[in-house]
Amino acid sequence: MRTKIHWAPSLLAIAIASPAMASDLNVNGFLSVGASMLDDNKASIAGADNQGGFKNDTVLGLQIQKQVNDSTTATGQLVSRGSDEYATEAAWAFVTYAANDDLDLRMGRLRIPFFQYSDFLEVGYAFNWVRPPSEVYRVPFSSLDGVDLTQRFSSGSIDGSVQVYYGRFQGDFNTGTDVYASDYRNFAGLAFAANMGNFGTRLSYHQAEIIMNTTDLTTALGAAGAAASAIATGLGDPSAADDFNFTGQTSQFVEAAFTYDDGTYSAVAEWTALDHESSLFLDDQAWLIGVAARFGDYTPHVTYTEEKDEFDSGNEGVIQKTLPLQSEQSSIIVGLRYDYDSGTALKFEIQNNDENTSAGVDGDSATLYSVAVDVVF
Amino acid sequence: MKNIKYVCTALLISFVTIANAEISVIVSPSNPNGTLDQATVGKIFLGKAKSFPDGTQAVPVDQDDGAAAREAFNSTILGKSASQLKSYWSRLIFTGKGTPPKQSGNDTSVKQLVANNPNIIGYIDSSAVDASVKVVHKF
Repeated sequence: MRTKIHWAPSLLAIAIASPAMASDLNVNGFLSVGASMLDDNKASIAGADNQGGFKNDTVLGLQIQKQVNDSTTATGQLVSRGSDEYATEAAWAFVTYAANDDLDLRMGRLRIPFFQYSDFLEVGYAFNWVRPPSEVYRVPFSSLDGVDLTQRFSSGSIDGSVQVYYGRFQGDFNTGTDVYASDYRNFAGLAFAANMGNFGTRLSYHQAEIIMNTTDLTTALGAAGAAASAIATGLGDPSAADDFNFTGQTSQFVEAAFTYDDGTYSAVAEWTALDHESSLFLDDQAWLIGVAARFGDYTPHVTYTEEKDEFDSGNEGVIQKTLPLQSEQSSIIVGLRYDYDSGTALKFEIQNNDENTSAGVDGDSATLYSVAVDVVF
Repeated sequence: MKNIKYVCTALLISFVTIANAEISVIVSPSNPNGTLDQATVGKIFLGKAKSFPDGTQAVPVDQDDGAAAREAFNSTILGKSASQLKSYWSRLIFTGKGTPPKQSGNDTSVKQLVANNPNIIGYIDSSAVDASVKVVHKF
């Protein structure tokens, strides 16, 4: 977390170092203030409880951007999240070198392009939901330190981009109940996006070697790891427990999304899958499909989303079935966005979450009521 | 009869609106590019193209929020409402991938900017066009 402090001043220094340049310093910001309340505490959605509150969906972001010279731009985005006790973090802090009109090289702290909405994950104004559905948007970190290369292309009515990146993420892996010190090495991936008229598509692949401290038996993963070795011994196959830790095993993530927007009607479908070499995380698949219609300033929308864990084969899978890890859930989200003034959206949303299985046992269902105001400036 | 009257009035109003609102997309007379089609103009104003067809850098400028010419330009050339555009740009701004055209006032100030810089492209009401600028697209 030390990087949080270091990035911001160095970035400010870059941004104000060249006052003589003709181009301006661009300052933009976004603010989302949301309140949500769960109808009961049996299930958990988006960190909410049945007492209601503003904290979890409240996010402030401030971005500064400065063109340092013809080819180089410095960009920094500081984000403060209510869900993180309003600690300020550099979500982005990078220098862009534009090799030509269509090829950018970026270095620094970058958003990992896991999802369709990754780039603007916290900019509530940029989408219709109060928050992207957590069934699909389930990776508990979103930035890495590294380098990426983006090539844009345009041919006739098709335009798009190919982005490749490489870097490392070191930081806390926060599951909501436990926090694990983690190190994602050789973090690399590729994202392809294309638009043709009203249609858009996005395909991406990501992988990393995970090193994570799961030896603390008071944590869920620590306890599960210890239980795994006891069960493996009981099965007469002690080696089956070897992969119930994170000592550099590779995890892979694939994503495919399709979008449609004709100005009045819009739709998004996104499918994702996580595949872990380590057996301590269950592989899973998650997807969502949403439709929306714009009637002037009003945009009603509805989304269905689902997440389902899958067991490994062999004795690893047998062990996984006995551990309290498995989850399977779905949600229906119905909402209304009202663009009541320029740069300001008011959102109402009802989410019914059905936990078929939670931590290996039968789950519950609950309904979350949310209201949010999203501003960009 | 009442209905016909309404339809006639509506037609008249929309005809008047259209007739009043002819917009010209303009560049400097020293800009070597000829007529630009709607798709090319749209790409420049959405940040998808950064240069004119001849390869020189293109810098689009918008009129101020709420200006009649801007609303007509947004809906006809870009096919998006003001809030859709705001949403489009917020997806790019906060990723460092692009910045919207600078708001540069009204017909007069945009015309002046365009006249003095061959890289700038703007749009003004056709009635404001004079010899200081060159029209590359009309709608």
